[in-house]
Amino acid sequence: MSLLRVRGVTKRFGGITANRGITFDVAAGELVGIIGPNGAGKSTLFECISGFYRPDDGAVELDGTRLTRMSPDRVCRLGVARTFQKLRPFQGLTVIENVMVGAFTRIHDVRHAREQAHEWLRRVGLAEKANAHARTLSTGQRKRLELARALATQPRLLLLDEVTGGVDQRSIPGLVELVRELHAGGLTLLVIEHNMRVVTAVAQRIIALHMGEVIADGAPGAVSRDPKVVEAYLGQAYVA
Amino acid sequence: MTQLAVEALDVAYGDFQVLWSAELEMQAGEIVAVLGPNGAGKSTLVNTISGLLRPRSGTITFEGERIDGMPAYRAAGEGIAHVLERRRLFPFLTVRDNVLLGAHNPRARPHREQTLARLEALLPLLKARRTQLAHTLSGGEQQMVAIARGLMARPKLLMIDEPFLGLAPRMVQEIGALVRRIRDEQGISVLFIEQNVELSLRLADRGVVLESGRTVLSAPSAELLRSAEVKRIFLGDVAL
Amino acid sequence: MKTAAGAVAFFAIAGLAPLVVGDAFLLDSLVLILIWGCAAGAWNIAGGYAGQISLGHSAFFGLGAYAAALCGVRWNISPWYGVAIGAALAMGAGTVIGFLANRLRGPYFVIATIAVSQVLLLGAARWRGFTAGSEGIPVPFRPGFWTLGIPDKRIWVWLVLALALLVYLAQVYLERSRRGFQLAAVREDEDAALSLGVAARRLKVVAIAVSAAFTAVCGALWAQYVGFVDPLYVFSVDLSVRFALAAIIGGLGTALGPFLGSVLVTTVETWLRAQFGGLGSHLIGLYLILYGIALIVMVRFAPQGIVGWLRHR
Repeated sequence: MSLLRVRGVTKRFGGITANRGITFDVAAGELVGIIGPNGAGKSTLFECISGFYRPDDGAVELDGTRLTRMSPDRVCRLGVARTFQKLRPFQGLTVIENVMVGAFTRIHDVRHAREQAHEWLRRVGLAEKANAHARTLSTGQRKRLELARALATQPRLLLLDEVTGGVDQRSIPGLVELVRELHAGGLTLLVIEHNMRVVTAVAQRIIALHMGEVIADGAPGAVSRDPKVVEAYLGQAYVA
Repeated sequence: MTQLAVEALDVAYGDFQVLWSAELEMQAGEIVAVLGPNGAGKSTLVNTISGLLRPRSGTITFEGERIDGMPAYRAAGEGIAHVLERRRLFPFLTVRDNVLLGAHNPRARPHREQTLARLEALLPLLKARRTQLAHTLSGGEQQMVAIARGLMARPKLLMIDEPFLGLAPRMVQEIGALVRRIRDEQGISVLFIEQNVELSLRLADRGVVLESGRTVLSAPSAELLRSAEVKRIFLGDVAL
Repeated sequence: MKTAAGAVAFFAIAGLAPLVVGDAFLLDSLVLILIWGCAAGAWNIAGGYAGQISLGHSAFFGLGAYAAALCGVRWNISPWYGVAIGAALAMGAGTVIGFLANRLRGPYFVIATIAVSQVLLLGAARWRGFTAGSEGIPVPFRPGFWTLGIPDKRIWVWLVLALALLVYLAQVYLERSRRGFQLAAVREDEDAALSLGVAARRLKVVAIAVSAAFTAVCGALWAQYVGFVDPLYVFSVDLSVRFALAAIIGGLGTALGPFLGSVLVTTVETWLRAQFGGLGSHLIGLYLILYGIALIVMVRFAPQGIVGWLRHR
């Protein structure tokens, strides 16, 4: 059963076509990796799915409901949460308050929201930092905060944009493990990643983009050996 | 003789470390390509060499002198010119003004007119479009003007960040040929960053591959072309 | 909690003062401090809590003032109706400004707010048939509570104190409630807030409309108290700046801040008036210099305002 259906999504900026006819389905409970060289259109795709951009053509459906043309906050309330590549914590609020904002999407009672927020912080391993100001966190901690905040909205589909980007090597396995746990808990995930090791470790399926188009869609091993993908990343000479 | 030597370089933005003991070596008169997946730290490395960033630790030696920590405007005086990503011409100045500004540093300024004349011979475009405003040029033309501006500093080493970004194939050929001529006719070393692996290795004598902020490969282009190791770095472990 | 104690102290002192102080001048100052404090608090709802910095709030103040005055002068009805009508009109104008807030960023929004207040100023000053034009409207004094003709300054203190308490509690609500948290998120990073399901655009409009309504109520009460509505004053940029200044100096985004800020700003202004007498143009210049210095000192030494400074001692 498809949870997310992306059909022919096209997005242009002036003369550049960032997304061209992108089409794929994501089943409930899948973890799909999105890869592609710089400028392939991965982030643009996320913006189109989450409602920040309006595609010029095509449609996005979540469980039968059309998301295209909806404002981002409505998309979130329908069940799509996301993180940002350039981290955006609410600097003036504490860690727990940051997560509470996410919790308030579903919960109206302040005390209940605070309890739930604590729970999410515990899940991502930030429980001791609950009352610290968001601006005092390290990069790895901010990544976890952003994750907890998005999870607090109780999404059905989570879009992760470069969750391991800029995190030091030692912290990556911890983050990967966290993503795995979330997936094991039944969450559907779309993950943009540049770190091929991370993607091949967590994803059951990989979609490769190049110059705004889908060039491959399948199991990680098959995709990383796909001649089109090799050519996109490295050039013809590398196609074996 | 080694013209440029980067050793054990650590560079961070706040607590967000990007380069971990990065290394690079260049001989005078070489063309070297800096390659690697997104977020590997290529731009950071080049920005630190030219002085736009200060390293936390490590050394950069140019022609026997330590230049790490030197502010960018002084590195320019030492003989290193840096052409920035996406050209960064002054859009509302003419081609001529843009180019002349490249000779601002005290070493190059006395010879400005002479250098300009030489460059106009190398690149007829400069003379033809002398009075045209920079933002009206095409991408490829802008790239040529940006390189010319870099050359006005009479550098011994020219560093270019993504020379082929957003250019049509024909332009890519022309820029590639220009880079070759700069080295062949004027003996200037060229260090450039590029996404396109095959293209870069066909142009460069040597390639340096960064992965997650570390130098993982440094070898002649011929070796790196078709290398399985390069494939692994960009596309992950092929064998699953 | 420190500021709760501070608030209790502030309201207690203000409430008890009329019983102890007999001097008419001091009571008058207290009334003005409270009115400007309410206006600053109202501004704070939009500027401090929602992050929508406006320098056009005199538009709402003036609407309230004119509504109250016209009720008495033109239609012979109780100025309390004026309070309600002014608030309603201000909410309408606030919704328009809220619409602008969703279209314009930063400095452009500020300029638009100034423009709105000046358009109203020109309208009021030119529309002689309706508003008596630039001559202004003297507000008739008819004794009685229903007509807001209250000679006893002590009653005025308590009346405005009641409004102040309301404004204070409204701000506290914004600090503790779900809507308040969401508004804070919008203030910090609108896109991130949107991605978390916060209806940012709607919240901003509501915050501005509520802020506008409260400001209009201040304007209506002020008109009745002072007894004269001059369009060049009630719609002035100077007034808008004062609301913002008092809130910023007192502590942007804090519930007690606007009132503490008003104490400072109103005291300085009263002192200046006592020193130099009259409202000549040179005096206005002096205000601005002093305000500017105060802002610079504040930003440098106590960026969170008086409340922030008190909290960290």
